[in-house]
Amino acid sequence: MNDKAVQIFAETYDRERAVLPGADGWLARRRDAALKSFVEAGLPHRRLEEWKYTDLKQALEKAAFVPAPAHEGAVVLPDMAAASAFAAIDRHVVVFVNGRHRSDLSKAVRLPKGVELHSLTDVLHEQWVKELVERRFDDARQSENVVDLNTALMRDGAALRIRKGVCLDKPLHLLFLAADGGASHTRNLILLEEGAEATIFESHIGVATTFADIVTDIALGDEARLSHVKLQHEGAGAVHLATLRARLAAKSRLSSFALTLGCGVSRTQNFILFAGEGAEAHVNGAYALKAEQHADQFCVIDHAVPGCTSHSLFKGVLDGASVGVFQGKVIVRPHAQKTDGRQMTHALLLSRDAAMNAKPELEIYADDVQCAHGSTIGELSRDAIFFLRSRGIPEVEARQLLVSAFLDEALDLVPHETACEALRLLVAGWFADGEGRA
Amino acid sequence: MDMLEIKNLHVSVDGKEILKGIDLDIRAGEVHAIMGPNGSGKSTLSYVLSGREGYEVTEGSIRFRGRDLAELNVDERAAAGIFLAFQYPIEIPGVTTMTFLKTALNAQRKARGEAELDAVRFLKLVREKAKPLNVPDEMLKRALNVGFSGGEKKRAEILQMALLEPALAVLDETDSGLDIDALKTVAAGVNALRNPERAMLVITHYQRLLDYIVPDAVHVLSGGRIVKTGGKELAHELEKTGYAAYDADAA
Repeated sequence: MNDKAVQIFAETYDRERAVLPGADGWLARRRDAALKSFVEAGLPHRRLEEWKYTDLKQALEKAAFVPAPAHEGAVVLPDMAAASAFAAIDRHVVVFVNGRHRSDLSKAVRLPKGVELHSLTDVLHEQWVKELVERRFDDARQSENVVDLNTALMRDGAALRIRKGVCLDKPLHLLFLAADGGASHTRNLILLEEGAEATIFESHIGVATTFADIVTDIALGDEARLSHVKLQHEGAGAVHLATLRARLAAKSRLSSFALTLGCGVSRTQNFILFAGEGAEAHVNGAYALKAEQHADQFCVIDHAVPGCTSHSLFKGVLDGASVGVFQGKVIVRPHAQKTDGRQMTHALLLSRDAAMNAKPELEIYADDVQCAHGSTIGELSRDAIFFLRSRGIPEVEARQLLVSAFLDEALDLVPHETACEALRLLVAGWFADGEGRA
Repeated sequence: MDMLEIKNLHVSVDGKEILKGIDLDIRAGEVHAIMGPNGSGKSTLSYVLSGREGYEVTEGSIRFRGRDLAELNVDERAAAGIFLAFQYPIEIPGVTTMTFLKTALNAQRKARGEAELDAVRFLKLVREKAKPLNVPDEMLKRALNVGFSGGEKKRAEILQMALLEPALAVLDETDSGLDIDALKTVAAGVNALRNPERAMLVITHYQRLLDYIVPDAVHVLSGGRIVKTGGKELAHELEKTGYAAYDADAA
């Protein structure tokens, strides 16, 4: 373990072990084991196939990421547009600042009976929490290592359990604000029991040089339905590492959408495991990058049982010298007949210096399935720009119209109408902020 | 004053001279037709009027309402009142025809210092212009030109023209790809826009279109030059004799 970053994380663990939540129970043992495993493997490096295009090690070693300090009082961020993106929507809000729950800023009242919403630190004794935290996803071995880092150091997060048949009355917004530099290790746990329904917004906003390490563990019971909208808009020096792991029981449905706008380096991982027949996963995303930004979308969908549907569409625009990565894999196990799997990724390069790496993969072991995947990387059509300009639309506006139209196909999939409009406004703001240079 | 005044216009594309000294004056209220064989420079003339990049004016000048066009870029020319109806309209995936029309109209109004139209007034205006062209609401909701038939594309072009109300309309082979019924609809749309303040330049290979859009003058373009100018009867003459007599290489 010669890595500087690994050493810092290990030292942090030694120092904080006694004060991290759950120091006196099962979690302490789990943390010890996770740290050991993380240190042994080290940070993922580019020689690992799953990390070929993203140098997390280098990104983390640029800044020494010790834990962010606790923050008290009001939070002032220069870019409040992203922080208040969902403000017009009637919703429950749970706020975390520097990775710590802030009940004074949160507003989640009169939750329906059967909805249990807590700070993770308050429910560590519960069996379902233990089960979700200890759950491993075998097919993500190379990525499991960063989950170990999270398990060892996780400080807080949201724990939501919705009982059988209960529907969350309005969206739950988990708002993560980074007010100061430093690392925050967040674990969210979401359990929807049979037939339960919820919509969750998750936003990560900040400007400082931060390392946001987030793992969101989801378990959907039979016929449960979860809509998940994630917005990432952190500072140019920030590193964002988010892993969403979801296990879907029979006839359940997950609709997730992630918009990536901020950060120096971000890696957004999705691991979807179909565990019951007739389930559906819609895992979609969009990103708009500029300058030196690097964003990696990683998505593994495991059709371990028959008759499930997974649709993924990731679209991104890259300006400046930004770099985009899409790695997606749909696995169809030998007995997973009648699988419907679709995975598409499209990128638009707005600058000669931008780059895109796309690796869509299908691994099919069953013979009665419908699977498709595709990838395109292109640039704006000069003919289309000329056509629009010939009708009096100035060049910058013409480019914006074409890029918006390109992203709209993905944004249309945001599983909440008003949130969809909110994200569109943020994308429009992205243009106003500098796109349009020829 | 002439609406359009072209003097000794030489235009090169990729270093190759295509137009070799064009002189052409069009007054407000007039409709001029440019006819000529393939490769004579007809489309080059339309593109150079629109300001498309890659079409380099090496000599001569174009003045539009007394203004040197060289000073204006593509979108400024459109806002100033020049409209090009494309031979092959471009597909714009993801942008509905309605959104496109509104963006274009308001961009031009803004460039001219006029107030932008709100959604209600715009919708009323579009419907009023769309009806005589047989452009239904359903078509306005589709992405511009994507999956449009040849006739739909050309009707959409004329709708844009009707909405943008240009001072000078350049119609580049508007008849190509149209059956006779579609041609009549499009021609009627164009004729409805003829008025004393507006000039039109109709570029076509065939005389057929000019039976419906009757020009005040016909020019024959061959080998990058206007080799003959006459009245509307010249179009019929060409239909009988073909362009062989005007072939630049044979001459």
